[in-house]
Amino acid sequence: MVKMSVDPAKAKDLQICASSNGEKGDSWEETDELQEDRPGLAAAPKQPKPENAVTIAVSTRVLFRTEREQKVFERHGVEEYLRYQIQHENEPFAPGPAFPFVKALEAVNSRLRQLYPQSEELFDIVLVTYNHAHVGIRLINTINHHNLFIERFCMTGGSSPIGYLAAWHTDLYLSADAQKVREALAEGIAVATVFMPEKQTEVSESQLRVAFDGDAVLFSDESERIFKAHGLDKFFEHERQNEDTLLDHGPLKGFLEALGKLQKKFYAKGQRLDCPIRTYLVTARSAASSGLRALKTLRAWGLEIDEALFLAGAPKGPMLEKIRPHIYFDDQMFHVEGAAEMGTIAAHVPYGVAQKRQAGK
Amino acid sequence: QRMNLSNGVSGQNRNDASWEDTKRPVKLSTPTRKPQPPKPENAITIAVSSRVLFNMEREQQIYERQGMEEYLKYQLEHESEPFSPGPAFSFVKALEAVNNRLRELYPQSEELFDVVLVTNNHAYVGLRLIHTINHHHLLIERFCMTGGNSPIGYLKAYHTNLYLSADSAKVREALQEGIAAATMFTPEKMKEVSDIQLRVAFDGDAVLFSDESERIFKAHGLDKFFEHEKAHENKPLDHGPLKGFLEVLGKLQRKFFHKGLRMDCPIRTYLVTARSAASSGTRALKTLRSWGLEIDEALFLAGAPKGPMLEKIRPHIFFDDQMFHVEGAAELGTVACHVPYGIAQRLFHSGKYDITTEKLN
Repeated sequence: MVKMSVDPAKAKDLQICASSNGEKGDSWEETDELQEDRPGLAAAPKQPKPENAVTIAVSTRVLFRTEREQKVFERHGVEEYLRYQIQHENEPFAPGPAFPFVKALEAVNSRLRQLYPQSEELFDIVLVTYNHAHVGIRLINTINHHNLFIERFCMTGGSSPIGYLAAWHTDLYLSADAQKVREALAEGIAVATVFMPEKQTEVSESQLRVAFDGDAVLFSDESERIFKAHGLDKFFEHERQNEDTLLDHGPLKGFLEALGKLQKKFYAKGQRLDCPIRTYLVTARSAASSGLRALKTLRAWGLEIDEALFLAGAPKGPMLEKIRPHIYFDDQMFHVEGAAEMGTIAAHVPYGVAQKRQAGK
Repeated sequence: QRMNLSNGVSGQNRNDASWEDTKRPVKLSTPTRKPQPPKPENAITIAVSSRVLFNMEREQQIYERQGMEEYLKYQLEHESEPFSPGPAFSFVKALEAVNNRLRELYPQSEELFDVVLVTNNHAYVGLRLIHTINHHHLLIERFCMTGGNSPIGYLKAYHTNLYLSADSAKVREALQEGIAAATMFTPEKMKEVSDIQLRVAFDGDAVLFSDESERIFKAHGLDKFFEHEKAHENKPLDHGPLKGFLEVLGKLQRKFFHKGLRMDCPIRTYLVTARSAASSGTRALKTLRSWGLEIDEALFLAGAPKGPMLEKIRPHIFFDDQMFHVEGAAELGTVACHVPYGIAQRLFHSGKYDITTEKLN
């Protein structure tokens, strides 16, 4: 039976020093020593330090399906909602739109750990939620039920989680709430609103596939402004004239960069063709008329992209259906909806001039 | 306005009589602007030492270098100069803000925060302290000037719910007597905190909970810790030194919830733990629930540094049992307090902790 260790008898033995425990080092460093002593023991993977990892913050509403609970909250208020959650604590949630994405991240992590067992350059997933700590148990049960590896939680009990994102060194934040997404974007965090596709298409479990729109996602919206202001011809002219001027970067450039860094780790081990991360550019740009500037910009940033589809205005839906990405980022709801209709998990990046036009929607 | 001098004349013998006095109707000629202090058994009593409430570094140096007489002389000379705020100052201000809200909602209730100034100082210094308190518009009516004796006995007489001091020896003594206590440190730069919402952040193990799990971790490593926590998921952890304080905060919070003010509550509590959510979070959350305690925000860091999170939270006070975390928090401007309890207090440079003999090998 464990008793509270502050009994006067024991407490007198404790040598408490006025300053630190003595070591600047983490208690986590001791884990290394202990594990070395028992090599046979299968170690649970150690969590990477946030600054080394590629941190993906996901909200519970995109990782899991919580529509029913959402309705309870909206109709009956917070107290009913909490009661409902506690009652159904042992019922795991069903997977949501970001679920296959997170599973794929873990698959990549397993491959990375095989090749680079000491490295901390891994994906790290943080569950970020407005939810109250009460709901934590149901979330933990769900995570364990689905065999996910999510050890970092940020349960803000109603206050905005945006402030914590920077503290977690968040490289990408996925949420269902457009308001939060806009807030995060204003803070300079790569973020997108994830939508549930209408039908579930199967995606790969062993290769993470991420598809990006070009303008206003990877690149800034400067070219799109010209297009919207002056039309297609002026846009082509402008792009050709400025072929060698780099485009400014867009909100998701950093995330592509982080993916590229991990990809290079596989290339270094001769696994370019078998790489578990694959990136796609799916743009409405026309190749001959405006493609050069986009590709030159990517090259100048030192970023590779595996596949590039210049659609010259053709619909993106059917292409994405073939690609089967785990996630597709676009700044225009028109494309996001089109993709979702055909079963692609699409995420909206509310950035740039295209948002003003949709203000009326 | 009564001071309990160390010769104990006024407070000790005529206990009941003195409380009756305060209930007698006040004559019109003595207008009461300030609210009456509640009875200690009804109130939540926070005892603060003068050195954490105010910045007394210069005076402290004089005492240490030049001795008692010089020190007293200095204090007398500077009697009309108010001290500047110390690390506990904004905490005490926030307590008063909560009290105001409570009085609005429950004008007859005595369930309020009550702040007692506890100090080793001689009564001589009392005047300067009173000047300072009035200068800063604080409402501190209860003093305990012990002139060199230990204040611990008085803490019990005041039904102290929390004791904050700069002196770790006194804090240890208080913990031994079962009083929630912590050593407060002054951060190099103090971040701004809210003056309308009291925010209190707690570490989990060895602060809210006992150190039983931490012992397992230090003796057998991370994996055994996870195993143990999962195996004992449904067995509540034993309580730690600050559980009682969280409990009284919760009691006051419920008074606001009953008036429908959950979202606008002027008290907010945070759990900031190095635990991993999926592997060891359930036991912590279930323990809190079995105690009937709610916590507003829960951050499971799985080893990520606490400093940046706390910087976002901006608590008025953060309690941790490990100096490593206290220092990390203070570096980023958080007012952090050390709870010298549990296994983490032993110096761990080498050697393992044998859980059966409770000795270092």
